[in-house]
Amino acid sequence: MLEIDDIEVYYGDAQAIFGLSLEVGEGEVVTLVGSNGAGKTTTLRAVAGIRAPRSGDIRFEGESLLKIPPHERAERGIALVPEGRELWPQMSVRENLELGAFGKRARGRVEESLGQVMSLFPRLEERADQLAGSLSGGEQQMCAIGRALMSKPRLLMFDEPSLGLAPILVRQVFETVRHLHADEGLTILLVEQNLRKALESADRGYVIETGRIKTEGPSKELLQDETIRSAYLGI
Amino acid sequence: MRRLASWLPEWASPWAAAGFVVVLVALYALPLVVVLDPYTHGILTQTFMFVAAALAWNWLGGYVGQISFGHAAMFGVGGFVTARLLLSTDLPFFAAWVVGGLVAGVYGLLWGHPTLRLRGPYFAIATIGVGEATRLVATFWSSFTGGSSGISLPIPSGDFKQALYWYALYFMAAVVLLSYYLRKSRIGLGLLAIKGDVDAAGDVGVSATFYQDVVLVLSGIVVGISGGFYASFFSFIEPSDMFGFERSISLVLMGVIGGIGTILGAALGAVVYVILQENLIASYPDLYLGLYGLLLVAVILFEPLGLSGLLMRGARLVGYRPGAGVAAGGIGGAAATEATGGAPEEEPTLEEARP
Repeated sequence: MLEIDDIEVYYGDAQAIFGLSLEVGEGEVVTLVGSNGAGKTTTLRAVAGIRAPRSGDIRFEGESLLKIPPHERAERGIALVPEGRELWPQMSVRENLELGAFGKRARGRVEESLGQVMSLFPRLEERADQLAGSLSGGEQQMCAIGRALMSKPRLLMFDEPSLGLAPILVRQVFETVRHLHADEGLTILLVEQNLRKALESADRGYVIETGRIKTEGPSKELLQDETIRSAYLGI
Repeated sequence: MRRLASWLPEWASPWAAAGFVVVLVALYALPLVVVLDPYTHGILTQTFMFVAAALAWNWLGGYVGQISFGHAAMFGVGGFVTARLLLSTDLPFFAAWVVGGLVAGVYGLLWGHPTLRLRGPYFAIATIGVGEATRLVATFWSSFTGGSSGISLPIPSGDFKQALYWYALYFMAAVVLLSYYLRKSRIGLGLLAIKGDVDAAGDVGVSATFYQDVVLVLSGIVVGISGGFYASFFSFIEPSDMFGFERSISLVLMGVIGGIGTILGAALGAVVYVILQENLIASYPDLYLGLYGLLLVAVILFEPLGLSGLLMRGARLVGYRPGAGVAAGGIGGAAATEATGGAPEEEPTLEEARP
């Protein structure tokens, strides 16, 4: 479904991604894990179209995305739950969610999608008319996930959804990821620092280090891998 | 009330609609009922026109958060195109206004499409350049603008001057309606999203390029028509007045005094501006620009939402709680969050949050 083919991404003169390739098949949960500054967010920003790669190609369902502007990518079914949520704090929860369905494809089904999101996160229904800026961290994360779901995505990308959340909420976020995959059939690309949790939820994983893929494989194997265990899990 | 509500768009409150109609009817009837002296009549006519221009500026400055210091460019283009059309063709005056407005809108797109990808202060600086460059070109293009001596239109008859009052009123009413539509519809949500966070807007499928261009063209058309109207009203225009930096600043002032991003605010700002201008220019011709500067600083320091911020404070004192998102104005929207406030609530537990 998504193929990232040998991309190089720069911030000015500083290179962040060095020939990274990655693949997400239809119906898969794939995770991209690594430490701070490894290039995880940059990779997602390249897929979303916020930061263009200098070389290489990104294909979605066989078609190159490079010349497609960000709002068109949303139209094609790619949704991002950004790092730090990036909600509109001065708008209400409902308005934030409705904005998620701004694209042509999702527009006609706003009410239906709102119902689905609210039943997934009843908390958002209670908070619908509050400003998004007044929500707690966990509620904001729900709102950001809900907003992404409103666009009726086929590929859902999470950027560190567990960042800054209490352990109980972290668990809940990963449960939501599993639910969206198992029950809604969404294809998911999950970027995480929390290696163990991410690998436990995913079919396959890629480990990224300083802008390069270091190891890849089925999650179970990566969790058993001695070098990864000692480098990232401290066991 | 209920029957009225049934054919209103869902975002329009029936009470606001009723208030709007009452005010319009009152203003329409005013010169018929009361004998207005020509000065007051003229001031009211100008006020209607400036309300329209201020609202149009606010679409870009308040809804999208792109503060333009160059709207005089469109005001001037609209004014001079209208004047030339009225002098050299038989076009009726309202057609000349519309053509002037359309040319101004296209001119806006011409400079706006490349500059609107800048944001915040960078866009503002670019618009200063655009405004000044346009003023210089206009000043030296004397075959079109008459250079620094300007151009005169035939002095209108008394009846026409009277009628301008109602034309300005209709124009203002149309722009108020368009303002509500732009703010309350799905488009308005997209515009606020762009104002809040351009990248996030792109992620959810809002094309910042497209919507900003559309808003600038609409804003340019309305400000251009205002310029054409201004030309008809004064029968004399010259580039340094039409294209001057003071002209651009005046629109910024109306928006900021009234409350950026709000509709009632921008309209009130225009009213206050006209009152201030008439009294300050008469009393302190050397000082008034300085006084405007002080006013601007005071508003931004003490009440970033301007007059509408004050009104909302007043409303809260008597117990009215505006809904979330009502105050999504302010520069960059920061003021609104602060004003509506609210501390984060306690975290939901696992049981509560899962179906």
